[in-house]
Amino acid sequence: MEPLTWFGAYAGFFGSFLAVFATLAVLAGLCSMLLALTDSSPRGSFSLFNGIAVVTLLLVGIGYIYNALSPSLSGGMELAALGKILLGLLALGVFAAMLGVFMKTFFDNPAETMGSLFALMLKLIGLTAVAWLGYTLLFAGAGFRDTLASMDPAALPTGEELAQQKRIATMQGRGILASIFMRFLPVWIALGLLFALSMAYKRKLGLYGKLFDNAIGIFGFFLVMFWVFTALFNGLFDMIATHGPLDQLSGMKNKVPGTPLRDISEGAYPFYLLGGDNLARDVFSRMVTGSVIVVMIAPLATLFAFMVGITLGLPAGYFSGPALRKGSLGMIATGVVFGLATLAALVWGGLANFLMLAVILGMLFVLMFRASLDTVLSFLANLILAFPVILLFYLLVTPEIVETGLPQYMAIVLFIFPIVFAGVLISSRFQTDPGKNRFWLMVVLIPMAVLYAVTINAPDSQINLLGPLDFFNPAPGVLVVFVSVVFVNSPTVFRIVRGLALDIHSRDYVAAAQTRGEGPWYIMLWEILPNARGPLIVDFCLRIGYTTILLGTLGFFGLGLPPESPDWGSTINEGRKLLSIYAHPALPPAFALLTLVLGLNLLADGLREESLKD
Amino acid sequence: MAKIQYDGPILEIDKLSISFFTRLREIPAVMDFSVKVAPGEAVGLVGESGCGKSTVALGVMRDLGKNGHIVGGSIKFKGRDMASMSADELRDIRGNEIAMIYQEPMASLNPAMKIGRQLMEVPMIHEGVSEEEAYNRALEVVTDVKLPDPARMLSSYPHQLSGGQQQRIVIAMALMSKPSLLILDEPTTALDVTVEAAVVELVKDLGKKYGTSMLFISHNLGLVLETCDRICVMYSGEAVERGDIKEVFNNMQHPYTQALFRSIPLPGADKNARPLVAIPGNFPLPHERPKGCNFGPRCDYFEEGRCDQGFVPMAAADETGSHETRCLKFTEIDWKAPLIAAETKTKGEIGEVVLSMQNLKKYYEVAANALFGGGEKRVVKANETLSFEARESETLAIVGESGCGKSTFAKVLMGLETATDGQILLDGQGIGNTPIEKRDTKTVADVQMVFQNPFDTLNPSMTVGRQIIRALEIFDIGNSDAERRERMLKLLDLVKLPRAFADRMPRQLSGGQKQRVGIARAFAGDARIVVADEPVSALDVSVQAAVTDLLMEIQREHKTTLLFISHDLSIVRYLSDRVMVMYLGHVVELGTTDEVFSPPYHPYTEALLSAVPIADTSIEKQHIVLEGDIPSAMNPPSGCPFQTRCRWKSEVPGGLCDSEIPPVKDMGNGHQIKCHLSNEILKKMDPVIKIAAE
Ligand SMILES: Nc1ncnc2c1ncn2[C@@H]1O[C@H](COP(=O)(O)OP(=O)(O)OP(=O)(O)O)[C@@H](O)[C@H]1O
Ligand code: SF4
Ligand code: SF4
Ligand SMILES: [Mg+2]
Repeated sequence: MEPLTWFGAYAGFFGSFLAVFATLAVLAGLCSMLLALTDSSPRGSFSLFNGIAVVTLLLVGIGYIYNALSPSLSGGMELAALGKILLGLLALGVFAAMLGVFMKTFFDNPAETMGSLFALMLKLIGLTAVAWLGYTLLFAGAGFRDTLASMDPAALPTGEELAQQKRIATMQGRGILASIFMRFLPVWIALGLLFALSMAYKRKLGLYGKLFDNAIGIFGFFLVMFWVFTALFNGLFDMIATHGPLDQLSGMKNKVPGTPLRDISEGAYPFYLLGGDNLARDVFSRMVTGSVIVVMIAPLATLFAFMVGITLGLPAGYFSGPALRKGSLGMIATGVVFGLATLAALVWGGLANFLMLAVILGMLFVLMFRASLDTVLSFLANLILAFPVILLFYLLVTPEIVETGLPQYMAIVLFIFPIVFAGVLISSRFQTDPGKNRFWLMVVLIPMAVLYAVTINAPDSQINLLGPLDFFNPAPGVLVVFVSVVFVNSPTVFRIVRGLALDIHSRDYVAAAQTRGEGPWYIMLWEILPNARGPLIVDFCLRIGYTTILLGTLGFFGLGLPPESPDWGSTINEGRKLLSIYAHPALPPAFALLTLVLGLNLLADGLREESLKD
Repeated sequence: MAKIQYDGPILEIDKLSISFFTRLREIPAVMDFSVKVAPGEAVGLVGESGCGKSTVALGVMRDLGKNGHIVGGSIKFKGRDMASMSADELRDIRGNEIAMIYQEPMASLNPAMKIGRQLMEVPMIHEGVSEEEAYNRALEVVTDVKLPDPARMLSSYPHQLSGGQQQRIVIAMALMSKPSLLILDEPTTALDVTVEAAVVELVKDLGKKYGTSMLFISHNLGLVLETCDRICVMYSGEAVERGDIKEVFNNMQHPYTQALFRSIPLPGADKNARPLVAIPGNFPLPHERPKGCNFGPRCDYFEEGRCDQGFVPMAAADETGSHETRCLKFTEIDWKAPLIAAETKTKGEIGEVVLSMQNLKKYYEVAANALFGGGEKRVVKANETLSFEARESETLAIVGESGCGKSTFAKVLMGLETATDGQILLDGQGIGNTPIEKRDTKTVADVQMVFQNPFDTLNPSMTVGRQIIRALEIFDIGNSDAERRERMLKLLDLVKLPRAFADRMPRQLSGGQKQRVGIARAFAGDARIVVADEPVSALDVSVQAAVTDLLMEIQREHKTTLLFISHDLSIVRYLSDRVMVMYLGHVVELGTTDEVFSPPYHPYTEALLSAVPIADTSIEKQHIVLEGDIPSAMNPPSGCPFQTRCRWKSEVPGGLCDSEIPPVKDMGNGHQIKCHLSNEILKKMDPVIKIAAE
């Protein structure tokens, strides 16, 4: 069986156009950059340099067009060749017309003209690519139909074989890229629907709707949603991926993209679209499955980091004056919490741990009578931030440390913040109506508490109090990775929230709430937080991007997740080992990581820009 | 680069139209706007916020941003059409011939660069002069803008200067290139009145000295009267009246100009002699302008079928054509008809004492080191022995400039801070040391506040109705949500807002409307004492009158005690019963409104009165310009707090002013003055504001 080519059956025809446009684009881009560098005034004179640049450009461009057309010029005059010539002439005509316009404006502003030429070429390249894709998808099976027609009807294979052969032939007609495109069809449909609906109702959708006025934002959102939908379709319906992420097929080890399977079992996808890795697994499928891990962990971990950051950052920005006053409720509460923690360390953690914790917490406690909450918390945040992240990760995920239960203890602390947050949010809102308050607290807090308990509880670990009641256990390693990511992200969020709270604190509506006698938590959560949402949403997007990279880094260093996990970091790392011989296993996950993070950053940029308008 | 020599008008704007293009629509911000500025002339541009004043200025500077475009008309600078100039020429003109001064001085200063450097850059870049010459020139202009110790000024950073000094530096910077045209966009709005008076004085003098033409943008008619030769009144993107300043003030020919004058209080008159008349309705948004005359829906002389028919052109209102107006009916309107006072409202009887402050003191301790609380501690005396009483239905005005301790006093009263010493008695009960979380709901609901900045007073993320309901919840009013909602709608009625506003977000409201919501919220728990912290100073003049009236009406109905904090003496004169003047934490004068507004004055009151710009040509004002800025409360002067700026100081024998805090002197009838001046000298003082003899 023939392997797949990258561009399929019609690469030659469209390729020559692409080559022409790409050359022109590169030339125009270079010229415009050079001109802009050498000649800053817009109405610069037509210098010798400019002249040479333009003449070179013209010569090379015409040469390329001639080259592209030459095969059809020398051969016999077939109908198809005539068509090609006509198209070639059309291209030449377009080029000539462009030249006309170009010459007219060139003398006014050479750099800009070259720039617009460059932009035009980019557009043409895009157009050609779309035309190629459309043509390929429509006519991919044409070759097979011809062969079929020329065959002896008696020798035709059976129906099932025929279908299989047809399928393979169609794919060969499409090539790798178009086949991948078809594999993502559900994603394209979902994206199309989402974008069409959002565009139609964008005026009613607030900030989200405004995003669709911003080209950068749209592009970023597109990239992000591409991966989100991919993960959804793959994770929920097992679509898109062609093979299992762990399936090893014989003879596929380190095979290049487009290699056909050695023996195709019933209904199996007959090719490794992006080749096989060193354990003969399908690179494409692993990349697609890897997105599920990222799309599940990154936003959730970021959300938790935000809960921690917000719950600590708001009071830090809001309260001035010493963190604790003698005899205050805060002092008693802090004392009890610290005491319990040290006691727990004594019971479960041994004497050394107890002493360490006792000293640290004791110092903190004393410090809190002198310094403001802000000073204490900022100091702690800086302490964490000053620690090299990778080292921290190494520490947290080494099996010895995991065995001591440290990540679980951290989970106990970190995961309590969402509960605290929700509890305070509700009780400050309904403070004046105890009945409602109790109702909502129950509705929200009980499920959260149950979830909390089963999440931190794990069989065969330091914390196993629930025993058989524990109905939910995250996949091995996931909790550790999750906790680490939340832990290193929260200090930064804390600092952002604290700064915003400090700023909004001075607004009159905060003073108005104070003069009405509102409690501090109501003011923080209902007067300050909603008005800090703009920058926080933007940062949320950016931070998911960082978290994605962090997850990649973790995987790359083989920390946390099991080694066979298809997450992007691990696969990049595995591919890296043979990079100089086989580049294809490492590049797809790297590209996936790049596009997702780029998408998140662009989305954040778009949101920032739009939220600043009006 | 040589200046362009030209004898005609410096700036000619002809039928200028400017639009902003947003994603929804085109916003025509300025339409058919013309004005001429002759050499050496100062032209004032007045109008409400959003009428397009700044847009005109930015259009002249060709600095309209990405979405702003000139869609019609022309701007000629020294006879040359600016549209035909190249980018280089424009840049040169902006640096060299036209200078602009913005409202916020820090916006034009680079915080990371020494003042001297910033000033020297101007001639060094535009004229290529040597560093030494540039320095000398910088020194000269800094001396010209009357800054003390110019050499030291040049070597300091912007943040080391006070707001008034910064604005002077900005002016100095504008003068460095000796421009032919100076555009000032609300140059003093961010400054205190006495500082404003000094800066305005400076601008006037410099204009004369350098022969610079000026385009002076302001919303304050009084300021324009003091500074300009000609005036152009704008309304909703159009010039509606244009002419010589005296002519326009005395013989106005457009209903909007007239309405504007009737809506501002004048310190020469009180509410009985000259009632305020608010302009009904709201300023139209640029894309919601009515057909025909823009002012139509708010105009008293509106005539259906005529004023709403089509474009109203500018027409000459006198023979020479120098006075023009954009009104179809100006020849028919009887401009001299006296104002028919609306029904005179009787003020509520002043009742019992509800609030009394006795020797209230508030000191702040500022520690130098945050983490360990060590280092030397400094004491800021924000309020120094405040004593007064306020009665039911009474309006007590508290007057003073920024930093005088008004806000601290309000905070202590509200319970956000506790008093260092002294007593606050509410109905005879001490609350001075009870922080707000310890006060009972009734006390909290009784003492409420209306804030200064309408754009800041409402939570931007909550509907108007929800915010009022929250206040009701917290004050424990109403038994069910439905009851509270009903009550909230009643409160909206009280402040004369449509009930539909309950579901709006604050950003959908105008400044005046927001302020009304703020008032409704303050009265949610039937407040008996309302502290109004400059409630109208951030509003447009045409809206100010309406909000002021509303406050007074509610006061009449609810017998509220109003503590009205303000620096605007015109409005204080208009609505208050008694006035308390504060300076650097001290009460320097306290008395009934008439006593405070007529001699004998405390020297500071006298200066304050003189600093108020008055939009009335028949008033003669004594001219007192205070030197220097308000000292910092961290580091107050010894002796009398006002001694650094007082012009009467020499009249006190024995240098007492430098060494001793003056005692409170009772001038009879409870009129108190805190000054060392002897009674004879105090009696000799002339009134600051006089009606000129006809
Ligand atoms: N960049 C912009 N985009 C859209 N509309 C704008 C923009 N700048 C100003 N406008 C609109 O143009 C109109 C005129 O605004 P402008 O700033 O000139 O008013 P102004 O008279 O200077 O007001 P103020 O006294 O508040 O300074 C307003 O309705 C404003 O909303
Ligand atoms: S034209 Fe009519 S509506 Fe407009 S200002 Fe004159 S009288 Fe009033
Ligand atoms: S005490 Fe002296 S310095 Fe103070 S206000 Fe009176 S005269 Fe002026
Ligand atoms: Mg403005």
